[in-house]
Amino acid sequence: MHLIKLEWLKFRKNSVLLLLALLYLILLPIKLFGGSAMEIQFPGFNNMMLVQFPTVWSFVGYIGNWLVFFFWGFAAIYLVTSEFANRTFRQNVISGLSRHQMFFAKFNFLLVLALAATIYYVLVCLLIGFSNYEDTEWSQVFERADLIPRYFLMCVGYMSLGLFLGLIVRKTAVAIFLYFTYIMFFELLLRWVIHKEIVNNKSMHFYPANAIEDLVPVPVKDFPPARQFIEANAFDFYLTPLEATITSLIYIILFLVLAYRSVQVRDL
Amino acid sequence: MNVLTIDHISKHYGSLRALDDLSLDIRKGDIHGILGPNGSGKTTTLGIVLGIIKSTSGTYSWFEGMSPQKARRRVGALLETPNFYPYLNADDNLAIIRHIKQSSETNFDHSLELVQLKDRRKSKFNTYSLGMKQRLAIAAALVGDPEVLILDEPTNGLDPEGIADVRNTIRAIGESGKTIVMASHILAEVEKVCTHVSILKQGKILAEGPVGAILSDEVCIEVAAKDMGNLGNALSQIEGVIRIDQKNGLFEIMVAHSIDPADLNHRLVTMGIYVTHLAIKRSRLEDEFLEVIK
Repeated sequence: MHLIKLEWLKFRKNSVLLLLALLYLILLPIKLFGGSAMEIQFPGFNNMMLVQFPTVWSFVGYIGNWLVFFFWGFAAIYLVTSEFANRTFRQNVISGLSRHQMFFAKFNFLLVLALAATIYYVLVCLLIGFSNYEDTEWSQVFERADLIPRYFLMCVGYMSLGLFLGLIVRKTAVAIFLYFTYIMFFELLLRWVIHKEIVNNKSMHFYPANAIEDLVPVPVKDFPPARQFIEANAFDFYLTPLEATITSLIYIILFLVLAYRSVQVRDL
Repeated sequence: MNVLTIDHISKHYGSLRALDDLSLDIRKGDIHGILGPNGSGKTTTLGIVLGIIKSTSGTYSWFEGMSPQKARRRVGALLETPNFYPYLNADDNLAIIRHIKQSSETNFDHSLELVQLKDRRKSKFNTYSLGMKQRLAIAAALVGDPEVLILDEPTNGLDPEGIADVRNTIRAIGESGKTIVMASHILAEVEKVCTHVSILKQGKILAEGPVGAILSDEVCIEVAAKDMGNLGNALSQIEGVIRIDQKNGLFEIMVAHSIDPADLNHRLVTMGIYVTHLAIKRSRLEDEFLEVIK
């Protein structure tokens, strides 16, 4: 608690972080405000599935996937690199913080943010689900609630990657550039270079960004044609929840161990 | 009791030796100056004992063996530039340091008053002038009433009035019994403030000891008269003249601090000698410093 309070004292009045949090808070329940503009035209797909239990967990989760990647990943990088830019990490250690505490102050604070983001996700899903409760059975409400812990892990995953890049690279612009380009382009490029294809072989799904994304994937199986394609070809676009969870956990631990080592070894 | 012991510390950046087998003891109650030109290793030395730079070899110990992290909470430090959260005001910034030091200080009135920032305590750090930032850094170093203060070039960027204020503040803090380690490249600063001095050059300590012993406070005066022979005889009879050298048709004499040019002139006149040239060349202190770091 001492370390979490330290981070709170540092960042409670930071406008960048407040803005990122605000954008997440506004954009996650966008379906509530989006109305018909958000509707999906797809054969065999019923738009009520976007807002009804149990599929609301998947669709809001998928919006959250993008938002967490954008805003909370950015926030994790900023939490670290702004301290290098202001040279306040140095000052913290001079004032009596150990490097171990410095690392865990950040990591614990990220866990708190991930938890808060997840609680908000749950609240938004419940709010949207219950405001469109017609034709829903009570048993369906929590049918996809297994997405909740995976949503939390997804937040931790993106933020651990951000923390890792921030602590290794130290420059805000470079770390943010690497974070976005790695997730959006480099990993695809890497898959193509190594496997000569982007999809089509399950082994190429076990890359960090892909595994974290697959924790809360696009609910393709809710679209009948996609479901038929997957069944017909015995091929899945995504890792199973268990595969994604284990793979993400391994990468998260790897990022954290490398980031921790960097904090211990390098000059500040 | 030794507050800080530095034992054979070296720091290499590739082939550059920033510190070369440096050893130093700081005793309780000393105001210890680390004097050296820019790039001599002063900040590197302080950075290592404050835990932000890793030494290549050697060790240091605080308070005769206390854990470095715990020791740092009993040390207040200003290293190079003032480092604060730019979007927070003075009180919020000091509260972060108080939290890290686990101090129970209820407010920062005393230290903010000392550095004359009480009126601006609610302004954000990024609205401060350089001098105000430096003064806040000194206030920050005082959070938690530390036993030891480490000040790296504490008068950097201050105007003359600010420099005098800070020096007086440091002296006052020293008189209250705290140990102070101050790095500076300004000789006069060390001379005016410190009791002990270590002179550093290229990562090595060249001389160390009480300020009086290392940097004697003698003055060099140039003097000439029509009859240089008589003048030489007269000078050698004056008490307080320590050394006489003849250079370029002038005498360069080292005199104790108690003799000033007016004094010297008066005595020579009473001996029937009228000078044609009389000037303070440079203080002995500067001479010695330049000699040592040459």
